Amino acid sequence: MVQLSRRQLLAAAGAAAVAGLAACSDGDSDSGNLDGKRAGAMDGFKAGDQFKATEPLKFSIMLLSNQAYPYKADWPFWAELTKRTNVTLEPVAVPGSDYNQKRSVMVSAGNAPLLIPKTYHPSEEAYIAGGAILAVSDYADLMPNYTDKVNRWNLKANLDTYAQEDGKYYLLPGVHEGVWQDYSLAMRSDILTKLNLAVPKTWDEVASTLREMKKAYPNQYPLSDRWSTPPQPGGNALISIVGQGYGVNAGWSWNPAFWDANAGKFAFTGATEQYRQMLQYLAGLVSEKLVDPESFTQTDDNARQKFASGKSFVMCCNAQTLVKEARKDIAKLPGATVTKIPLPMGPMGASLPPDNRLENGLMISRKALENKNFVALMQFVDWLWYSDAGQMFSRWGIEGETYSGKVEDASFKLDPKIKWSGLNPGAAKDLQVDYGFSNGVFAYGGSTAMLNSQFSDEEKVFQAEMHKREIRPVPPGHPLTVEEREQATLQEAALHDHVDQQTLKFILGQRPLSEWDAYVAELKGKGLDQYVGTMNKAYERFKEKK
Amino acid sequence: MVSVLEAPATRPQGLRPSRGYRVFQVFNGVALTLVVVLTLFPFGNILARSFSGEHEIRSGQVSLLPRGFNLTTYRIVMSDAMFWTNYRNTVVYTVVATALALALTTCYAYVLSKRQLKGRGLLVAIAVFTMFFNGGLIPNYVLVSSLGLRNTLWAIVLPNAINVFNLLVMKAFFESMPTELEESAAVDGTGTYGTLWRIVLPLSKAVLATMLLFYAVAFWNSWFPGFLYMDRQELFPVTVYLRNLIAGATGGADQTAASDTALQIGANIQAVTIVLTMLPILLVYPFIQRFFVSGVMLGAVKG
Repeated sequence: MVQLSRRQLLAAAGAAAVAGLAACSDGDSDSGNLDGKRAGAMDGFKAGDQFKATEPLKFSIMLLSNQAYPYKADWPFWAELTKRTNVTLEPVAVPGSDYNQKRSVMVSAGNAPLLIPKTYHPSEEAYIAGGAILAVSDYADLMPNYTDKVNRWNLKANLDTYAQEDGKYYLLPGVHEGVWQDYSLAMRSDILTKLNLAVPKTWDEVASTLREMKKAYPNQYPLSDRWSTPPQPGGNALISIVGQGYGVNAGWSWNPAFWDANAGKFAFTGATEQYRQMLQYLAGLVSEKLVDPESFTQTDDNARQKFASGKSFVMCCNAQTLVKEARKDIAKLPGATVTKIPLPMGPMGASLPPDNRLENGLMISRKALENKNFVALMQFVDWLWYSDAGQMFSRWGIEGETYSGKVEDASFKLDPKIKWSGLNPGAAKDLQVDYGFSNGVFAYGGSTAMLNSQFSDEEKVFQAEMHKREIRPVPPGHPLTVEEREQATLQEAALHDHVDQQTLKFILGQRPLSEWDAYVAELKGKGLDQYVGTMNKAYERFKEKK
Repeated sequence: MVSVLEAPATRPQGLRPSRGYRVFQVFNGVALTLVVVLTLFPFGNILARSFSGEHEIRSGQVSLLPRGFNLTTYRIVMSDAMFWTNYRNTVVYTVVATALALALTTCYAYVLSKRQLKGRGLLVAIAVFTMFFNGGLIPNYVLVSSLGLRNTLWAIVLPNAINVFNLLVMKAFFESMPTELEESAAVDGTGTYGTLWRIVLPLSKAVLATMLLFYAVAFWNSWFPGFLYMDRQELFPVTVYLRNLIAGATGGADQTAASDTALQIGANIQAVTIVLTMLPILLVYPFIQRFFVSGVMLGAVKG
């Protein structure tokens, strides 16, 4: 038997490792040359065209199986999709409860399907370094509908916020023509009428409305809120919408980067004056006993129970929970009615943050690039997710079968035997459960007309009110390098953690706001200045490149 | 636990119980009753919810008695074909996995209990090593995938076939068995396997029943391997179905599209699914419990 010395063994191992690395990095020469990857693709595919692969194709997709409408293989959606595009999707069904975890494992193990939808920025950044995800911005030219919408709807600046340091982005987000404000407060309108109160327009008026309610029902908390699941501080929706009024991304719309347009640089959201004012407002509500302190810790079930039994009159809602939950919950309270009030305004006046124009989106596995159908795949994605026809199809289904009319001239009508959210509530069939349309994996984003088509009349009134508001400018991009991001992620985690904890303490009155300066000093101790410095350095770099 | 109360045989016969002992008994009874109530209450609550109306649950009226009694929810849940498919999967996975785990653990433990075995220390060390260290989530996933086990029963069965804790309990049990029994069997001419099969196993019913229960309950309740290694809905165990129904219902973190995910599944549907899922494994307990109580103690003391 041949005896190997330890040194020889080490050398052999080293050589093997180098060979392995070389094998891994040979995919870098990919952009540009797409010859041999056009099988099944359409020649001259342009915006507005119906995509149909020239040969039958199959693409794998990770499919979030929503608990409210679990995946079914016999949804008419699948058959019709194949009929129109010649593409069959092969879903890997993942329970919605743990979608992110399975996505992480599959992507990290190199086992992910070609299409990975339902990804929220910035979670795609975790996969970039591993090289498993395609830099989709390199191939935007294969997607005429997408580029068309980005240009027409002026989304360039929004996309800049998704870019990495190399200027590329890795997620194809859902794109909205206008800002879609869905969340606001649900209020018991019968109580408003009874107490002779007008619908409050500003957060200050909300406070006085709650005061009046408290006067009439001194033993109750008028507002008891839901959506307090960690990791955010609790009262996540409430803090988020109050924050909007004060101009900060807080609660579950938390964004650590606060763009200070006057100073021309970034600041840390949790240390801004705006954030302090927001806390002051909320702390005031709690100390006056207008807001249930449990709002920030209780489960959704508890909050709904209080609302259902008439112990509270106000809670956060969106269009769907208003109809499907709040209104149903109070159905047995005599005379009780509930309405979603136009989002109250704060010091920022009649304006909305720009963030909501991009939505969760789609990652594409880098291995798709080795596929001879790569171009067809991109065209297919472009048609299904970004063309008007594709969006109409995934949202409303088949004309003449599930709907009639057009969204553009508001003649759209969902077939009366099918229900969806607030539309046709008594119908026997459900568009999502029985047909597979309006599935969150495929149907999101789109034109304002498209968005309006899904609303009930009351929601249309709400949206009309929202559309009167101005959209604030998008903050500039500040893409970090890989090393910077690694460092910044750690710092941000520590800072965010502290902000969440102290936010709760400030709001609940466990810590007086007079200690604000001490709190900012604590943040400094956790690397606040360094973190802000990194962001501003990245911004300077970005500005120079532009 | 309660059986301690019903079996005062340990009290010294013929003597009047001392005052202290009686105080202890009362105290003990109260404390244990409290524990029983605490354990049974959530169960009773879920049971009551499963027969109640959605609205009554939402407004917090249901505690131990159903309000707005109905069986509609049961009908709805039981008419979902996917629920039954997943249910059948759970039964199959549990039965196969438990049988295999029991066989493998018994063999391994029996071998390890033989002091004359060469390399016994190493074999024990290998097993114990896996108790403290493992490859981690992704390496495990890659391993199972590259073995081609994904989307098969074996992905659930094989990686969990030997639980080291159970193995050590069994090993201790076998070690405590008098060697004379096996020696006399050997004298009568049985081989190794004959001894195991005819002498040792019939005497080990207590530990076997205990292991059966440990494994069966663990496999019945486990959801993660099924979730991780199965890519098709019709392969999931019912626990994944249940988890999606409950845990998935409260995911509100994604704001913009939250309208889509923030919807909650009816509380009564959740309750019915929970009841149906725990029922079979609950029914196993009374039949195994008498072995179980003596079984867990066995092997605990060596002498």
